[in-house]
Amino acid sequence: MTFMLTCPICGRRELHEFLCGGQERGPRPPQEGLSAEAHFRYAQFRSIPPAPQPEWWYHGQGCGVWFKATRNPATNREERPGG
Amino acid sequence: MAMLRDYLRPTRLWAPAPIKPHYQVVIIGGGIHGLATAYFLAKTHGIRDVAVLERHYIGFGGSGRNTAIVRANQRTAASVRLYDEGLKLWPVLVDELDFNLMFFNSGNLNLAHSEAAVAAFRMAIGTANFLGIRSELLDPLQCRELIPALDISDRPEHPIQAGMYHPPGGTLRHDAVVWALAKGAAAHGVHIHQGVEVTGIDTDGGRVTGVQTNRGALQCRQLGIMAGGYGTALCTLIGLELPVHPLTIQAMVTQPLKPFLNHVVSSGAYHVYATQTLKGEIATGAHMDPQVNYTTDPTARYFKHQAEALTDFMPVLKDVKFMRTWAGLADMTPDMAPIMDANVGFDGLYLDVGWGYFGFKAGPIAGKYLAEMIARDQIPEIISPFGLGRFLENRYAGETAGAMKYGHWDS
Amino acid sequence: MARLPASPTQRIDPSRPIRFRYWGGEAEGVAGDTVASALYAAGVRVFSRSLKYHRPRGLYGLDGESANTFVAIDGVPNEAAETTLLRPGMAIAAQNVRGSPERDLYGILDRFDGLMPAGFYYRLFHRPARLWPFFQERLRAMAGVGVLQPSGSRERPGRFERYLNAEVAVVGGGPAGMAAALAAAEGGGRVCLFERRLHLGGHLDWRTRLVDGQPLHRRATELAARVAACPNIRVFTHAPVTGVWGENLVTGFLICPEGGIAREYHYECRARSVVVASGCTERPLVFEHNDRPGVMPATTAWRLAASYGVLPGRRAVFAGGDDSSLEAAIELAGYGVEVAAVADARAEGHDPELVAAIGEAGIRFLPGWTAGAARGTNRVTGVELRRIDGGRAEELRCDLLLANAGLQSLIGPLSTLKAQLGYCTRTGMFQPTRLPERAFVAGSMLGLRDVAAIEASGRLAGLEAAAAAGWDAESQIREARDAVRNAPGPAAGCFLACAPGIGRGAKAFVDFDEDGSYKNVVESAQQGFDVPELAKRFGGFGLGPGQYHVPGQNLAMIMAALAGTPLDQLSGTTVRPPLVPPRLATLAGPGLAVHKETPLHDAQAALGAIFRNAGAWHRARYFSTDLSCREEIRNVRANVGVLDSSPLGKFRIYGPDAQKALQRVYVSDMSKTKPGRCKYSAMCNDTGNLMDDGVVVEIGPGDYYFTTSSARAGATVEWFRYHTRHDGWEYQLVNLTDTLGSLNLAGPNARKVLAKITDADLSNAAFPYMGYREIVVGDGVPVRCLRLGFVGELSYELHAPSSYCGYLWDLIMAAGAEFGIRPFGLEAQSCLRAEKGHVIIGTESEQRVTLTDIGMGFLWDSKDTASKKVGAPALRHASGQTDRLKLVGLRIDQAERRPEDGDIVIDGTEVVGYLCTTRMSETLGWQYGLALITDRHAPEGGTVQIYSNPRGTPSVTHGTVVAPHFYDPEGARLRA
Repeated sequence: MTFMLTCPICGRRELHEFLCGGQERGPRPPQEGLSAEAHFRYAQFRSIPPAPQPEWWYHGQGCGVWFKATRNPATNREERPGG
Repeated sequence: MAMLRDYLRPTRLWAPAPIKPHYQVVIIGGGIHGLATAYFLAKTHGIRDVAVLERHYIGFGGSGRNTAIVRANQRTAASVRLYDEGLKLWPVLVDELDFNLMFFNSGNLNLAHSEAAVAAFRMAIGTANFLGIRSELLDPLQCRELIPALDISDRPEHPIQAGMYHPPGGTLRHDAVVWALAKGAAAHGVHIHQGVEVTGIDTDGGRVTGVQTNRGALQCRQLGIMAGGYGTALCTLIGLELPVHPLTIQAMVTQPLKPFLNHVVSSGAYHVYATQTLKGEIATGAHMDPQVNYTTDPTARYFKHQAEALTDFMPVLKDVKFMRTWAGLADMTPDMAPIMDANVGFDGLYLDVGWGYFGFKAGPIAGKYLAEMIARDQIPEIISPFGLGRFLENRYAGETAGAMKYGHWDS
Repeated sequence: MARLPASPTQRIDPSRPIRFRYWGGEAEGVAGDTVASALYAAGVRVFSRSLKYHRPRGLYGLDGESANTFVAIDGVPNEAAETTLLRPGMAIAAQNVRGSPERDLYGILDRFDGLMPAGFYYRLFHRPARLWPFFQERLRAMAGVGVLQPSGSRERPGRFERYLNAEVAVVGGGPAGMAAALAAAEGGGRVCLFERRLHLGGHLDWRTRLVDGQPLHRRATELAARVAACPNIRVFTHAPVTGVWGENLVTGFLICPEGGIAREYHYECRARSVVVASGCTERPLVFEHNDRPGVMPATTAWRLAASYGVLPGRRAVFAGGDDSSLEAAIELAGYGVEVAAVADARAEGHDPELVAAIGEAGIRFLPGWTAGAARGTNRVTGVELRRIDGGRAEELRCDLLLANAGLQSLIGPLSTLKAQLGYCTRTGMFQPTRLPERAFVAGSMLGLRDVAAIEASGRLAGLEAAAAAGWDAESQIREARDAVRNAPGPAAGCFLACAPGIGRGAKAFVDFDEDGSYKNVVESAQQGFDVPELAKRFGGFGLGPGQYHVPGQNLAMIMAALAGTPLDQLSGTTVRPPLVPPRLATLAGPGLAVHKETPLHDAQAALGAIFRNAGAWHRARYFSTDLSCREEIRNVRANVGVLDSSPLGKFRIYGPDAQKALQRVYVSDMSKTKPGRCKYSAMCNDTGNLMDDGVVVEIGPGDYYFTTSSARAGATVEWFRYHTRHDGWEYQLVNLTDTLGSLNLAGPNARKVLAKITDADLSNAAFPYMGYREIVVGDGVPVRCLRLGFVGELSYELHAPSSYCGYLWDLIMAAGAEFGIRPFGLEAQSCLRAEKGHVIIGTESEQRVTLTDIGMGFLWDSKDTASKKVGAPALRHASGQTDRLKLVGLRIDQAERRPEDGDIVIDGTEVVGYLCTTRMSETLGWQYGLALITDRHAPEGGTVQIYSNPRGTPSVTHGTVVAPHFYDPEGARLRA
């Protein structure tokens, strides 16, 4: 469903201005002693409950910033503080 | 006369059954995959103590939302083998289930708009031919002979350079497949429970023991997750992470017209596949939302895009009108090949996820081998390339050439 | 047929006749007519034949509710006659007709409906299987509706579309919608009002009933004038809404008046709030032969008379379930129709004023009665009225049967908006039970019938919508709420699911478009399809062109009645967009145009370049019709060539943490960059696939200039910032790709050409291979010059401001003339680089191979774990693996048919790889190939089999595995 997203710099904009970078999963783990399995789990394995999740979005057709937003895959809407 | 009477006074295709507290096998998902698996478990392997749980009504999910295109001209030999067996299974099912699945053997024409795409076609054609499957490269004129509506001039934004024609492919009536499999499964004793939503999965000592539902708890020895795009959500109930991203994918139909498009036509550059249904509508599929979600809401943007794309390479469609759009879920893996695996994380847990937008094509054949996997508790050779472990070993199936960007499905 | 005398409700101008053609003959309508009103006035009653049984079908609704009145106009199929304005000279033809609409050869199918129970095609024709294709073709030919003419008009209706923003969007221009728009506009915000019909006014438009001493149509005109006078309301009429999507995006299309900016255009309105006031329509009465021409909703006949001045029939019988039918009866009697009887499915609860008026007009009133069966075939000739309790029946003659089972709300916009809907046991209609954020509902769709109440609800919704968009309207809202409370509430509806005594109801139609009968609903339920969504799919109810309009609420009510489900648990089927079908050309608008042209496009076009799409660009691929590019290749190898490489990614990164960012995304040790030197490296993703390659040059302290492949230019900023998003590093990244154009001057004579146009020292010692210099060329063009060798020859890449590139090109061509300079294109470049063994990302790489697999592992600084290089863990893991694809070179045997790009490599029964790029090389004298094959077959000296079969005759060619650097493996020519 078409929805809008809040860019921290540009404000509310149409979804198609943005690119989704997927779930937030924290910074890259240290590579010293990192097992292949741990790496591939970090890189591509996800748990996707139908509940709000923090995500990374890129304002590609705008200011070019990556920012975190909370969106619910069950409703496909951004969860904004105060609605 | 009895036959005519039966024909004129049809009876229930499948009878509702009371929910039992225990089944040997519980399958979550009353779509083509779940019903086919149940059917083959009961029919081929004699395992009749099977329940199929469906949250809404059978065929609610991807099974009833796809554009019902079938083909066996994939990129890799492992896939082609499976899909080819799948193609050959349709007529067998029509006969076995005594149900007209309306297989329209139209052949599929895929369009290339660049030299690179032509090379990719040669690879797929070579692989198919090497495995004994018909597929051939056509020049633009030959493409237009098949589909006179194509504009093969240089005017379109993506001029047509070649086509890959695959005569064995075509379309079926997707709902009919669901109903026929339900009929067959129920006839062999399988219980189909509609309106039953799984809210929890019970485990004990590393084994699956049953499920919690809105209609109470059910115990089972073996549990199959065959819920299409909702598989990832179900796996979160037991903390199972997957390299699978459910994305909304949109489709639409035009108002009905007399036959003029006699083949499935598709184009990667335009993000379009289109067929004319037996009823005369142009059924056409489109983009996926770029972010994971479990909604099946179409978007205005892709609706518009589809009109732009279709009228660009088939200008004759300009005066045609769209009648309906809808969406379903595609559970995408990074290599665009499915995951079929046994005892994943827990003994007795069987996984059938990640079919992306190809779940329909191989539904019954997947069910056949998933049934064998569950019945024998070992993975049949033909589906062994599709284990979950490949993603921990960095051994992609190669069903797409594109490398992933950020870990979620984003090609 | 002569029109009725002029009246204030008419929307036609009989003084302006319009001639058109119908079914081969000449006919005449008048200005203001739709195709349907003109045809009806011309005496046409059978408009088409139905899909399955070829039953005659006539005019039903006037707003495009069914395919009954689909016609072909000037060769364009499936045009809704009721919503298409008549234009002079139109050629109109009926559809799905064999013979003529009145005498149809396939009409006999109607007798065999008994042999076609719901879903019959699933149980027929498939045994024996070999017969199915025959039946399939017959079915296909019978199905469909309109015929698409390859020579149809196919004109774009206008390359135009409109994007609007508003505080409040109002869907529906009836009294509620207009009141909502006026109220919302008081807040000063922008209001957009969308109405599908040509005029604002809704159901007031044709009503002459006096309310407070004023005819209702005048009230509509008054409201419309106020709306038009309001500066912050934009009115869009003849502008059907196709959907209200997420977060109040209203889409639709506007049909322009003659001479407008386009014939039709697509619009989208992003509104903070939305008010839905889409009104009601008559719920079709399901009774036997309810599809006969002449059976129609009361409103259709009423509007024909009031708006179009067409007498709809001579003798009418009404069988309604709402007061509007009583009003219609009085009005039609006034227009000269003989009203034989007014049956009403409701036994009580009628508007006493209307009942009295009916009595005064001498019309028979039959409360508690409804229609049971229509008589006649091509025309309705009579009706069997039945008592609701099934007790009695009575036959009446008529040529017009105006039937409904009360009203139903037009829930479309609410459904696409994802409002929750529930069946209301008072109004007998689906109504919203929960609305999404900033969405409001008003008007008759809430069950309101009193005009003042409708306007009050509109005003309240408008104020609430404006308030939700940010206007402080608390006191106005309070007053408006009181006004709604004091006005009459929702009227009691009609709860009749279908006519009494229709039994199995073979020919009582629930859906006209696909001939879905009551019997088919029963059969669907019997076969297990016992909820509306399943029955819809099995029996095909609401899947035709009219979608939910005709079967919508009836299907749910009938299925509930069959299942014994209480009405308050009624659930409907989902209404899907588009609510009104848009023409693809209108939706497409200006269409696709996604490719860019480089600054050298025209210069190359002048030299005969053949362009192809490459990523985001139109690029010169060939400079002759010899697609093997022999001359272009030979000239680069022997003399000098010039390539437009402008799409190459060009970037500057600078700042205190710029080097850290480079270390993260590049696989090499980027601390080893040097001023004046190009450092070649690659980027990987997290699975170690090659994503990009290019060179990095240090141009100052913490300041770098770097290049990327053309395909990645658009994603590079995003990629850098993504992979450093957690780090808080300070660096600036500028995309110079479009700012700077680029030319690649390559070949043994490259230095001689460049020397003629620059004073810079180009000697090998001063400017060696992999050097970087900022030089001045010609009349002072600043050029970043990179001495690289992608094509395997001495070459200079010249990056210059885009606006100077044309000048630079001319300068180079002039200077190079004496050295045999020629332009070369992408295909020649691809051959040249392949001879050299240089990979192109996505051609010699794919998702199954890592950087190491394609022989570029030497670039990776494997000891560095501290930088957390993207891809390093995957490369580390893959380095210990076997049974992977590897990039190899092949020397391919001479063969009658040469292998081509994409041909597969086989071993026995196994596919072991494929050819990425292969060409017969004049430079080498043999055919080379770059292939990805399993490591078992990769050792040099081995033989492989190449299988190709593009057009039906397989052939196998042999090749020998060699190192993938075929040409000048020592790189002497690059360094020359």
